[in-house]
Amino acid sequence: MDAEPRVTHLDLDRALVEAAQRDPARFDALYRRYLARVYSYAYYELGDHHAAEDATERTFLAALANLHRFRERARPVDGEGASTFRVWLFQIARNIVANEQRTARRRPSEPILETTVIADALDVEGDVVRREEAGAAWGAVGRLAGDRRRALVLRFVDEMTTAEIAGVLGRSEGAVRVLIHRALRSVERDLESKEPRAPRT
Amino acid sequence: MSLQGRDVGEIEALVTDRYLDSLLGDRDAPTPTAALDEAIRAVSRRLADDLPRFHPSFRFEERLAVRLAEAAAAMRLPMAAGGERDAASTPTPISVASTRLASDPLAALDDEGRAASRPYLVGGAVAASALSIAGAAWIAWRRRSSSPMARAVRAAHQVRG
Repeated sequence: MDAEPRVTHLDLDRALVEAAQRDPARFDALYRRYLARVYSYAYYELGDHHAAEDATERTFLAALANLHRFRERARPVDGEGASTFRVWLFQIARNIVANEQRTARRRPSEPILETTVIADALDVEGDVVRREEAGAAWGAVGRLAGDRRRALVLRFVDEMTTAEIAGVLGRSEGAVRVLIHRALRSVERDLESKEPRAPRT
Repeated sequence: MSLQGRDVGEIEALVTDRYLDSLLGDRDAPTPTAALDEAIRAVSRRLADDLPRFHPSFRFEERLAVRLAEAAAAMRLPMAAGGERDAASTPTPISVASTRLASDPLAALDDEGRAASRPYLVGGAVAASALSIAGAAWIAWRRRSSSPMARAVRAAHQVRG
């Protein structure tokens, strides 16, 4: 068993961040690492491909321009995978998306349900089932209010820890835990109410 | 762990949180949590499996990469001269392709390896509905194992880059 201490790199992105702070051209690695996550967050929030791209672009440009101001604040308790850069980046994204929502007033109540989800090019039957299941889950999350929706997207899609989500949303960890628990209850009730029950035999 | 001072809702939330840590950390074998409500367990598994992560179109990805590279180049000049890092300057094009090789986005995502079977959609393909490399990526799923489709998408992405 490896007995080496585990806290040499509290921030998963420390090496990449330090490299980019020394040479902004190295920011590309951080951009590639987080592009899909930031875009996903924006897409879930805005429900529009072009608006999500716009928010993603502004997020990364703002992050690059302000990277020299970023200071790592990860603690040992945050765990080995803790990334304060990721929290900082998503705080930027959250602000930009919120501004977009305030300006455009186009937050969807039924986000992106027309989008096709394909599981396997050779599994048409499985594809149909998968598409319906994904669409239902997606719709239920989209119908959640504000921070409940954001917390679930950050937890399940962006796979952030509770501590990281607390940092992004500006809430305590306890509040985020309760938020997610209640959001799951809401989604469960929503899915149950919309799905046909199996006929009794 | 002391549960003193916590109400039932907080305790349930804590149990759920522990389960999610386990579920999202190792989807194939999350740690059993007897105290967890079965309905919460089921809906958690469903969201973990069904909520897709999106990727923007590769055209957008490269366009923004170029824009960031230009902005970075503009920042490097004043830094080299000892000035403020965010001072404006004339953009100097730099090679995006050179940084591209060291950071294959699909490889990086595989390295994280935490989402075993999450739907993974490419935004540009959704919008354009075009049959393209992006369209091929659109129907690819992120899997921990290296499926033929994943390899094909990765190869196409590298060739395109």
